[in-house]
Amino acid sequence: MAIHVKEVHKKYQSGEVQIHALRDATLEIPDHKIVAILGPSGSGKSTLLNVIGGIDRYDSGSILIAGQQLETLKDHQLTDFRRKYAGFIFQQYNLIPALTVQENVEVGKELSERPLDMEDILTKVGMWDKREKFPFQLSGGEQQRVAIARALIKNPEFLLCDEPTGALDEETGKKILALLKYVNETYGTTVLIITHNQGIGEMAHKVIKMSSGEIVESIDHEHPIDPEKVTWS
Amino acid sequence: MILRKTIFRTIKEKKFQYAGVIVLLVLAVMLYVSLSMAISTLEERNNAFTDEYKQESFHLVAGQDLETQQMEEWERAYDVTLEKRFSKDVELGEESTLRLFTITEDVNRPYIGEGSMPKTGEIAVAEVFATENEIELGDSVDIGGEPLKVSGFVYLPDYIYMIKRQTDLLNNPEQFGIGITNERTLDNLGGAKQVQLLGWTENGKIPDGIQTEISQEVPVLQFVSSGENARIQFVESEIEGSQTLITTLPLFILALSIAMVLMLMKRRLELQRKEIGTLMALGYRKKELRNHYLGYAWFIGLTGTGLGLLAGAGFSVPLSNIYADFFNLPPLSMFDWDPMILVIGLLIPLALLLALTAFVISRTLRTEPLTLLRPKEMASGKKSWLEKLPFMNRGSFTTKFRLRLLARNKARSLYIFIGVMFSTVLLLFGFIAFHSMERLVTTTYEDIQTYDYAVYYSTLQTEQTEEGASPFSMAEITVGEDTKANLYGIQPDTSYIQLKSDEETLNPELSEGAVISRPLAIITGATAGDELTITNGISENELTVEIAGVADLFIGNALYLPKDQVNEFLGYPQEAYTAVWQDGEPQMSDRVFLVEDKQEVIDSFESTSGATRNTVAGMAVVAVVIGMIVLTLLTNLIVEENSPSISLFKVMGYHENEVSKLVLNVYTPLVILSYFLSVPIAQMSLEQTMNTLVEETGFLFPTDVVWWMVVVGFLTIVFTYWMSLMLSKRKLKHVSLQEALKKQQD
Repeated sequence: MAIHVKEVHKKYQSGEVQIHALRDATLEIPDHKIVAILGPSGSGKSTLLNVIGGIDRYDSGSILIAGQQLETLKDHQLTDFRRKYAGFIFQQYNLIPALTVQENVEVGKELSERPLDMEDILTKVGMWDKREKFPFQLSGGEQQRVAIARALIKNPEFLLCDEPTGALDEETGKKILALLKYVNETYGTTVLIITHNQGIGEMAHKVIKMSSGEIVESIDHEHPIDPEKVTWS
Repeated sequence: MILRKTIFRTIKEKKFQYAGVIVLLVLAVMLYVSLSMAISTLEERNNAFTDEYKQESFHLVAGQDLETQQMEEWERAYDVTLEKRFSKDVELGEESTLRLFTITEDVNRPYIGEGSMPKTGEIAVAEVFATENEIELGDSVDIGGEPLKVSGFVYLPDYIYMIKRQTDLLNNPEQFGIGITNERTLDNLGGAKQVQLLGWTENGKIPDGIQTEISQEVPVLQFVSSGENARIQFVESEIEGSQTLITTLPLFILALSIAMVLMLMKRRLELQRKEIGTLMALGYRKKELRNHYLGYAWFIGLTGTGLGLLAGAGFSVPLSNIYADFFNLPPLSMFDWDPMILVIGLLIPLALLLALTAFVISRTLRTEPLTLLRPKEMASGKKSWLEKLPFMNRGSFTTKFRLRLLARNKARSLYIFIGVMFSTVLLLFGFIAFHSMERLVTTTYEDIQTYDYAVYYSTLQTEQTEEGASPFSMAEITVGEDTKANLYGIQPDTSYIQLKSDEETLNPELSEGAVISRPLAIITGATAGDELTITNGISENELTVEIAGVADLFIGNALYLPKDQVNEFLGYPQEAYTAVWQDGEPQMSDRVFLVEDKQEVIDSFESTSGATRNTVAGMAVVAVVIGMIVLTLLTNLIVEENSPSISLFKVMGYHENEVSKLVLNVYTPLVILSYFLSVPIAQMSLEQTMNTLVEETGFLFPTDVVWWMVVVGFLTIVFTYWMSLMLSKRKLKHVSLQEALKKQQD
């Protein structure tokens, strides 16, 4: 499912200072691809991800996904949009501590009309054997796997990953990236990854670079490298 | 929904907090249901007995026998059912008096609970009197040398509250009871026989003019309408008076418990901000999330009200039995399981809890998911207006930190304040009630009424009284429009009655005007210097008198004037009197209508002091439990919320006691302030309640607060607070450094 972002502008007030988080951002995200959005802190990459995912509003411009103009949708319609098309993965995993691995994934499954198979997903993210464990019994990498399974089980059209390896060491981080690549190849899910880790861009089909709210560069990779070969920074 | 599992797991993890609010809810519902059911049963029985057994609309005590023909004429003229009844007070053993009545057929029909209607040589007595005096069915009791067989247990519709005299406050079935027998058996017993005329009308009202007409034919010693009859009215006052208690106390506890639930919910929503944001981002609808979080309220509400209903229904049985023993009512209707009480007990707390919780939840759900996903400090870092006050930034670090904590936890501070206030008020209600009984006995029966016996005659007396006796005249009057009162004409120099107001004796003031009792002062709103118009109940003569003072007489509507003035008003000869006060034991004769033995009255009060003590102890326990739950819950939450700061203090090298002083003891001045503000509030609210009830009950409990109440109350509240601090300190001790610091990072 392609994502069309056209001249999106977003500003907000921080004390007395007005910050332009997005300045007329325009981009096309092709279907079934991995797209990396790179940039330093404050460059607007998180804001871009949030407006695409429908958890934040923008002041002007338009975003077209699955035939829906996001700016025209009411709050409950945006919820339905997220429910149907989007899967979110956060840097801090955001699992529900009182639920087991399997139950956390069920939280995602309940939202979908055409969910994937629980055992299959948990096996593919390598967590089937630990399905009865609670989040506090897992390592950071394992928690992120569960978060990916939770997002994936809905069978979403695109995955929005906000610094998915930001809290992980290199080895674990690369395993997570490999998992995302596997998801993209197996299920055809479009994957958007925002990161300040420049190396991750090498594994993406498309790299979008941002600075001060503007898209400064867009690079297409015909032959992205394997995640394990990513230069970790 | 899979999320539901988190509810049970969270409640299990925080079981103390949730158990606390559930206990509060159980208490509220239990109190409401048990009291309502017991009162509803009482009301049902009272109504059934009153209607089916034709409770009198009025009765009078006649100075002579009544002609049947004359009664029939009155019945026709006034559309009233009249029936004559004889009675005698007989001694049973050394300390008990049994009032035996002849059996009636039309008015005040007796109900035989067990056994059979007595025949010649037999009597039926009140069951509670029989129990207290160890009398069983079939026993033979010796009355004035005459052996009489107890054929049954009886209830009379005009002796529901079984007191010897209309002016008695408390019943004592060990010392006084009622019974029935036939006329022949009654005649065989020695002593004077009293003649009563019982009247019943369809609408319960007294026909106009009947009292005047009867008093023209026969001497009327006493005329009492059912509305003025303490033996009938007391149960109705109890039913009416209890309505306030039934609703107010449970409502307060319910309000506290709902406030606690809302606080817990707010805390839960705060803790789960990120989870809520994540769920929203994943596509959960607000309605789904609201329903999920309402699950906590459902759980608390259903558990609390369910257990409360069960406990309330269970407690209503012994409570109804206590009422049944206190009021001599037959079990005409069994326990009245009024479905409305169950519905109200279940629905109102549940509806309030759900509605208010839904409101709190929707406030959080109105927030954008992105805002919820960010840490709170970043979402809103605003200072409250209290923190901007200049003095908040002065003083040592400890002072500033503590002040800031107070300012940032305004709601917690308010709940602590209210929790302490509620416990204090409840505690003091118990203390005041306990003390007021003693005060009432001491003031009325020791300081004011210094005689041992009051002897009331059936006719006007004019002969010289015995040495040491003080004659007085007494009559029923109407004060103002319709307030019934007793008028006493006393010798101003009598030593048998000292009309005291605090320490001052008002007897000399009688030359200036009337002295009135406190209940009469409250009902009429009269104070010293005001004027009151009194009307003679029989002749309808009027007299306007100035109030010279209000005496500390807490029982009955009484108005005192010099005897000469009263005799003139009543149309009696100057030297006449209707009763005397004396110290020596009076001799019974045909002239004597009633003897009041003051020691008996005092004994009655003392016999009930055990029950009062138990009630006070019960109230103290409830007060401490409520205080403990509220304070521990709040201090617990304070520790939980401040765990990052606590952890940091620990890392920096602060000792646990120092941390505790910084975080927990900050509320000590608030607890003390709340306590001392609550003392006058408790006193004033109880006084106000007593004042509103005085018209129904005819007596006023003194509501003085004395030093020991303040000290004991303070120690109890401080103990409760200390206990809750101890419990919370344990929690503070367990705050892990790593966990707290991690929480701060998040």
